[in-house]
Parts: sequence; C-alpha cells; structure tokens
Amino acid sequence: MEQRLENIINLIIKYIFGLGVIFFALFPIYWMFTMALKPEIEWIPTRVHWWPWNPTLLNFMVLFIPKETILDWGLVEASHAAILTLPHETATKSIINSLILSTGGTLIALFIGTCAAYSLSRYKAGSDYLFLTFRMLPPIAILMPIVIWFSTIHLLDSLPGMLLLYGLFPMPFVVWLMRSFFDDIPPEVDEAALIDGATPPQVFTKVALPLVKGGLAVTALFIFILNWSDLIVALTITHRHAITIPVQIGLFEADVGHLYGLMSALGIVAIIPTLGFGLAIQKYLVRGLTFGAIKG
Amino acid sequence: MGLRSLWRDPAKFKNILQLPLMIVMNFTAMIPFALTWYVGMTNWAPQITIDWWKADFIGPLNYIRVIPDDLFLNAIGRTLLFSAVCVPVEFLLGFLLAYVFMGDFFGKKFFVLIAIVPMMVVPAAGGYTFYLMFIKLGPINGLLNLLGFGSIPFLMVAKWAYVAIILADIWQWTPFIFLIMSAALLGLPQDPINAAYVLGASRWHTFRTVVLPMLRRPTMIALILRAVESFKLFDYPFMMTGGGPGYSTQTISMNLYEAGFRYLRYGPTAAQSIVILLTMAIVGYYAVKPLRAAQRGE
Repeated sequence: MEQRLENIINLIIKYIFGLGVIFFALFPIYWMFTMALKPEIEWIPTRVHWWPWNPTLLNFMVLFIPKETILDWGLVEASHAAILTLPHETATKSIINSLILSTGGTLIALFIGTCAAYSLSRYKAGSDYLFLTFRMLPPIAILMPIVIWFSTIHLLDSLPGMLLLYGLFPMPFVVWLMRSFFDDIPPEVDEAALIDGATPPQVFTKVALPLVKGGLAVTALFIFILNWSDLIVALTITHRHAITIPVQIGLFEADVGHLYGLMSALGIVAIIPTLGFGLAIQKYLVRGLTFGAIKG
Repeated sequence: MGLRSLWRDPAKFKNILQLPLMIVMNFTAMIPFALTWYVGMTNWAPQITIDWWKADFIGPLNYIRVIPDDLFLNAIGRTLLFSAVCVPVEFLLGFLLAYVFMGDFFGKKFFVLIAIVPMMVVPAAGGYTFYLMFIKLGPINGLLNLLGFGSIPFLMVAKWAYVAIILADIWQWTPFIFLIMSAALLGLPQDPINAAYVLGASRWHTFRTVVLPMLRRPTMIALILRAVESFKLFDYPFMMTGGGPGYSTQTISMNLYEAGFRYLRYGPTAAQSIVILLTMAIVGYYAVKPLRAAQRGE
C-alpha cells in the first residue's frame, strides 16, 4: 500500500515537471508564431496581446513577394505600412543561399571528413586531437584570420568561400562521429574482405561505407543543422551576395525601427528544418553532441 | 608499379584518405593563421591601406597593447562570468530533469521530445524572440504586471540585460545537459544500485555513494563541452542587446567582432585573436582528454 502511494506521488511529480517543460520550452516558440501572425499595429501594442487579435499571413508574404507586387494586389495601404519602407529585397535570396550553403557545406564536410575518419578508425593514423581542439576555439578568433586571407584572394561575400567554411567548421564533428560509427564495425569484417582479395580502397567503398549508411545519414542531418544555425561565420564573411537566413533576420530594419513581424516570420522559416531534422535524429543527438564519446 | 602500390599498400592508402582534409585544413586554417601572425604585427587598417602587405610593420607592439586593453580584458571577464552562472544552473536543471524523467511512464516520449525542442531552435531566431519577450511591452513584463510586480526595464539596465541573456542561454542549452545525463542514467548498471537497496541504504545515500560516482565521466564531458561552448557566447547577446547598454553585456566574441569588423582595427584585432586562439588551444587540449578516453572505452 505504501509502495503504491509512493509510486503515485512519483508519477505526479513527473507530470508536474512535464507540464513545466512544455510551458517553458514552447512559450518562446509560441511567441515567435504569434508575432509572425500579427499585423503591424499589434507588434508593439500599448497592452500585451497574448495572441494575434487580427491574424494575418502578410508577414510571410512579404518575405517572398516583392513589395511592389504586394502594393499592386492591394494587400496593404501604402500610407501606413512600415513593411513597405523596407529598403531590402525579399528574403528569398537568403533562404536559397542558406539551402545551397548548408547542403553544399555538409556534403564537402561529409566527403572529406568520412575519408579521414576511416583512416583514423582503421589505421590509427594522424592526430585526432587536432580536430577536437579546433572545435574548442571561438569561431570569431578563427574568422579574423580567414577574413584577412579571403580578402586577399577575393573570396569574401562569395558562395564558394562560404561553402569552404561550411565544410571546414563542422569537420571535427564529422571526423569524430563517423569514426565512432566505423569503430562499431568489427575489424574481422575488413580482414575477411582483405583475405578474399579486396584492395584497401575496395574494402573502404564496398564494405565499410555501406555498413555505415545510417551513420552517414545521421551525421549529414546533424551537420546540416549546425551549418543552418550558423550566424557568426555568415555575419563576418558575407555582406550582400551570400547572406544567409540568420543574417537576414538582423537586417529587417526600416526607418521606423525593427520589423518585428517579418523577423519572426523568417525565424519560423529558419527553425522548421532544424526542428524537423533534429527530432528525426533524436536518438543520435547525444552521440553527435559529445563527438561520439557517449553513445546514447 | 608506383600507382598500383598506392592503392594496394594500406600505409599509402591511409595517407591518401587524409589528403583532402590536409588540403582544406591548410587552405582555410593554417595559411590564414600564419597570415594573421604577420598582420598582428602591423598597424593595418583598411582606412590606411587596403593591402595588408603595405601596412607598417610595428613588431610585437599590438601584443603588448593587449595587456592594458580594458575593453578586451573586461569582455573576457564578462564572458567567464556568463559561463560561471549559466553552466552550473544548466547542469543542475538538466540533471534534475533527467533524474525525474528516469524510468518509463506514460507520455515520457512526448515530454522528452518537447524538452529538447529549444536546442533545435536556430540561435539567431531564438535570440531575437527573447529580445521580443523582454522588451518593455513584451509578454514577460506583461506577466509581471499581471502579478503586480510592475515592469522591469530588462534590456535597458546592465544588471537585468545580464539576467535576460542568462535566461535565454539556460532555455536553449539545458536540454543539452538533459540529453547527455538521460543517456548516462539509462546506461547505469542496475546491480550495484539494487545491492545498495538490499543492504538497507536509503534512497539519498544510494544516490550519493553509488549513482553519482558512476556518473563522473558523462558529467565531466557535459560540463566541459558546455563550458567551452559558453565561452563562445555570441548569438544571444548580439541579437538581444548588441552588447549594450554600453559595453555591459559584450562578450569576448562580440568584442573581437566589433573591433575587427565594425571599427576595422585589423592589426590589434589580429593580435588579440592570436592570443585567444593560443589560450583556447591549450585549454582545449586538456578539455578534450576525457572525450578521447571515453571514445576509447577506457
């Protein structure tokens, strides 16, 4: 009887914590949503509007549709729309850039990192310390040198330059994660293939790689999230041509101040892929975040 | 013979596998690093000359000037203070949550899913949302007013701006600790714990003397990774306060960003970057040791 009571109390505590988690974890995201759906008048009302009183999709439309078109369609009145004082183009470019750079950078990091990881795992080659220590350095201190170098070879504010960096920065994660996946393959598998007459490259491409297919997919999504979330690299390297979503969020400033609704709408666009992919690889997040040290 | 043995010989193949990484590392890390050593010893600023090789060479002057640079040193101190508050609070909260959610119960999967959502939010978007929540007419002041506390000028006063950024950081990174500690608790061998119970140890006593020692490795890893990450703090203060009011929430990353990219003082900033890089490289070298040991299954 006493045991039963204790179990029930335990369960109640769990649910109280659960409710707390739901509230604290989701409220900022809820707020981002409401701001994105609010028309301009409700952005900073005199009294807090806990939900949008007059929900609108205008903020999302302004992200993609040029303001002239919006005026033509008569969606807003030109006289009192701060949105239309926006000096910038639509956010479409930053979204496309983010997609290209995050995907491309991930592929570069994955190709180079997987090769290195295999050689670390199978041949115990090289100094694996180096890569991890690299990740411990503050990116801004690495970026100062890179900006000087890129300005010398004219790679600043260019997609190729950004692709290189998005390949470089997540490299420690790729190397260590893929290495932990390669380490999971028993060495006997390689040895058997070698005895059967396969060359080392064949063992790598035909035996090892197919066995870590799942690991590759997990690593790819993980690196994509890292690149997609990056602010500091894009902020220092890009100015106009190669800007990404996180940079664009900070650019939504008009004569009247921050355009809260637009920033929130773009914020929603920004978190959709990271939330989706993150929850998809939930099981492997611990392994990813600890560089494969804790398998989870 | 030559090319064939390149593919046949494992010793050579292993080097080929490393080649792309070496090229990229040298091109985007080593060359710039060497370049920065030199630039750090010049007075290069784009206002004076656009080409770094034309700037005046002034020797180690910039490195010496790092010492009395108040802005730079204060930014380091501030960043360390952020870490000193955020990391322990995040650890305690995350660990507590992991401990409460231990075991199986109806709805656990759902709660865990929600709990890790903050970590998945793009920091720039999250930082911006927290800015919106802490402004004068935002929901947090709305709530404080409802409860009769009156408004707090969160982002206008140094002390409160600090609190706001810390809360945002805790929101985003507590799930990180929660995930690691959950995995660690799940992996605990049950036998010693049950044995302790059988021997009549109390819950608390068992936790302190049996469970905690077994959690040392994951705890170390979680704390180290979080501490190193928090030293890089940039996105949240950048989006929420821009380092203000004044310089009161400027972190070291923001200080380097402002000096280098807003005021374009390339020479001194290059020197400061080198100082930070070398310091953190030494710290990082020791910090990664437990990670490495864990991977080798020691």
